[in-house]
Amino acid sequence: MEDARIKILSEVRGLFPALSEKMNGEPLVYLDNAATTQKPIQVLDFLGDAMVRSNANVHRSMYELSDRSTTLYENAREKVRAFVNAPGRENIIFTSGTTASINLVADTFCRRLGPGDEILIEGDSHHSNIVPWQLAAERNGAVVKVIPTDVMLGAGRSGRVAFEMLDQMLSDRVKILALTHISNITGLVNPVGDIISKAHARGIPVLVDGAQGIVHEKVDVQAMDCDFYAFSAHKIYGATGVGVLYGKTEILETLPPYMGGGDMVETVTYGKTTYAPLPLKFEAGTPNFTGAASLTPALEFAEYLREGETGCVLGEEEERITSFMTGALTSDPDIEVYGMADGLKKTPIFTFNIRGVNAGDLAQLLDKMGVAVRSGLMCAEPLINSFGANSALRASFAPYNTLEEAQVFIKCLQRAKNMLL
Amino acid sequence: MTIKEIEQQIVEEFSVFDNWMDKYQYIIDLGKSMPVIAEEGKKDENLIKGCQSRVWLDCREEDGKLYFSADSDAIITKGIISLLIRVYDGHTPQEIIDSEIDFIDAIGLRQNLSPTRANGLVSMLKQIKLYALAFKEKEEDKTTGGDGEKYSVEEVQKNVIRALKQVFDPEIPVNVYDLGLIYEVKVGEDRSVFIKMTMTSPTCPMADDVVNDVNNAVSDAPGVKSVQIELTFEPEWDESRMSEEAKLELGLM
Repeated sequence: MEDARIKILSEVRGLFPALSEKMNGEPLVYLDNAATTQKPIQVLDFLGDAMVRSNANVHRSMYELSDRSTTLYENAREKVRAFVNAPGRENIIFTSGTTASINLVADTFCRRLGPGDEILIEGDSHHSNIVPWQLAAERNGAVVKVIPTDVMLGAGRSGRVAFEMLDQMLSDRVKILALTHISNITGLVNPVGDIISKAHARGIPVLVDGAQGIVHEKVDVQAMDCDFYAFSAHKIYGATGVGVLYGKTEILETLPPYMGGGDMVETVTYGKTTYAPLPLKFEAGTPNFTGAASLTPALEFAEYLREGETGCVLGEEEERITSFMTGALTSDPDIEVYGMADGLKKTPIFTFNIRGVNAGDLAQLLDKMGVAVRSGLMCAEPLINSFGANSALRASFAPYNTLEEAQVFIKCLQRAKNMLL
Repeated sequence: MTIKEIEQQIVEEFSVFDNWMDKYQYIIDLGKSMPVIAEEGKKDENLIKGCQSRVWLDCREEDGKLYFSADSDAIITKGIISLLIRVYDGHTPQEIIDSEIDFIDAIGLRQNLSPTRANGLVSMLKQIKLYALAFKEKEEDKTTGGDGEKYSVEEVQKNVIRALKQVFDPEIPVNVYDLGLIYEVKVGEDRSVFIKMTMTSPTCPMADDVVNDVNNAVSDAPGVKSVQIELTFEPEWDESRMSEEAKLELGLM
């Protein structure tokens, strides 16, 4: 049993060249996976090979090199479609990241909104699922309303969203609901399926920010029934600068184009332009075709990590890490850990503060011990502030992290704490 | 001791440690033992911009020499400031302005800070020199018998505009003057300054901060007696109000 565990963990870790790097002379313990994941050799080789052997602009030319490039790009679209179980390729739009995907929807969908209309977001949202809606609302006089967290209601300290408030907040004025699948601060998995049914019962479309969700949950957009699902490639082993927007056909058809130019047109005259059919209507300009193509090996890799004996071992390892980390952090009276809520599934994202210690100081000392973690606001200033803090420390684990790394982290954290207190 | 000599002393102290954890422990201990700043020194105008952690820096003058006090919510940052204060405390504004310190590089501190904290360090150094400059100007004002005689209305006008060019919009990397946010600058015979200005958008959440920054910068400009600011959104600002330099900076030309 233990042999199988060690064999599989070292096999998986061996595929990530970055994991054998040293930082400040110490072996790297990389625990900032909610920000970006390391890339396995399959993705790195693919990227190099694609740039060497298939570099040509996509969808434009009649020569073989361009065919190769277009094929890689469109294969990736098919891979993404299958990975999230979207009905067709027209539902998968490549963007530059989750942020761009949400901006696309916020900008184009909200053009139909007017004064008094409401956009409903969550109290645990990442800035990327707050600011695009504020910008859209500013243009048309709509209002952004927030489903509060237990902290905002004074009913707890976890940062869990109080979805029990949903029924009274889903009024006829609400025109769209922007959810977070998994919070990048609390690591809590929100019950998006139930919320979506409630919203749909009132005819309200729903966008889901899946930046963290795509990594930790098996996503089936048809079963979830979301209208939009947004995620980034770089958080799931793919290249940076690439994102995906899944959208239902019937709603994407009604949206105006977001940006103009490049491949998004059918015919252009100086008087009037007609637009390309989905999904290209939303892919103006030369896309990051190499990066987007890397989603094929990246998502294949994600599947390999989830399936068979490997999936089984890594799943158990994640449970061990979560229970070890939860125990270690909650048993220390000096630590206030956020995102501990009963009844919600917790992914291995741990955000906390040590009382009387600055998170930046901790992160700096941990770095000297080879441990890479995030400190600051983690792009969720309202949520961090609601805890009465102006920064926090976050350790976020990926399937390639081990229990030993979690133990090293806690040991180093104690050392840093003793130095600072 | 001169600034250079104190720097040398610090470099020697740090040479004892052979690894960074020990150096950090030393910096942390310095931070912990630093005298706390009085609450009145912890006002917002003493907050240093450009630091990820909050840093307050206050300065007072005694017999022509400057003395600093500081605080931060981060201990490592506080330890680093205590080193800076040790180097600069008890020196004249001119000595501080002329100094080029290199102990930070000599002990390897700059390379060992994260980029965000290294930027913070630069901001702290800048703030110390700004204090020195301000005290030096005050000193000169005294010896020349005050601003009233020293600067003509035209000179004050120029000084105000120079000061306005040091204030930056929080969202756009261009100063408020070149951005075209300043609609009117009037300097009275009594060297009182009236400024009429706008924001890029009526909903700008940072409006108060920008107005405060303008107020502080203009108040400190040589020759200025008082400042009055009127915020207006008539006419509304648009991109055509930017100077050519600003447009160039933002890639709009």
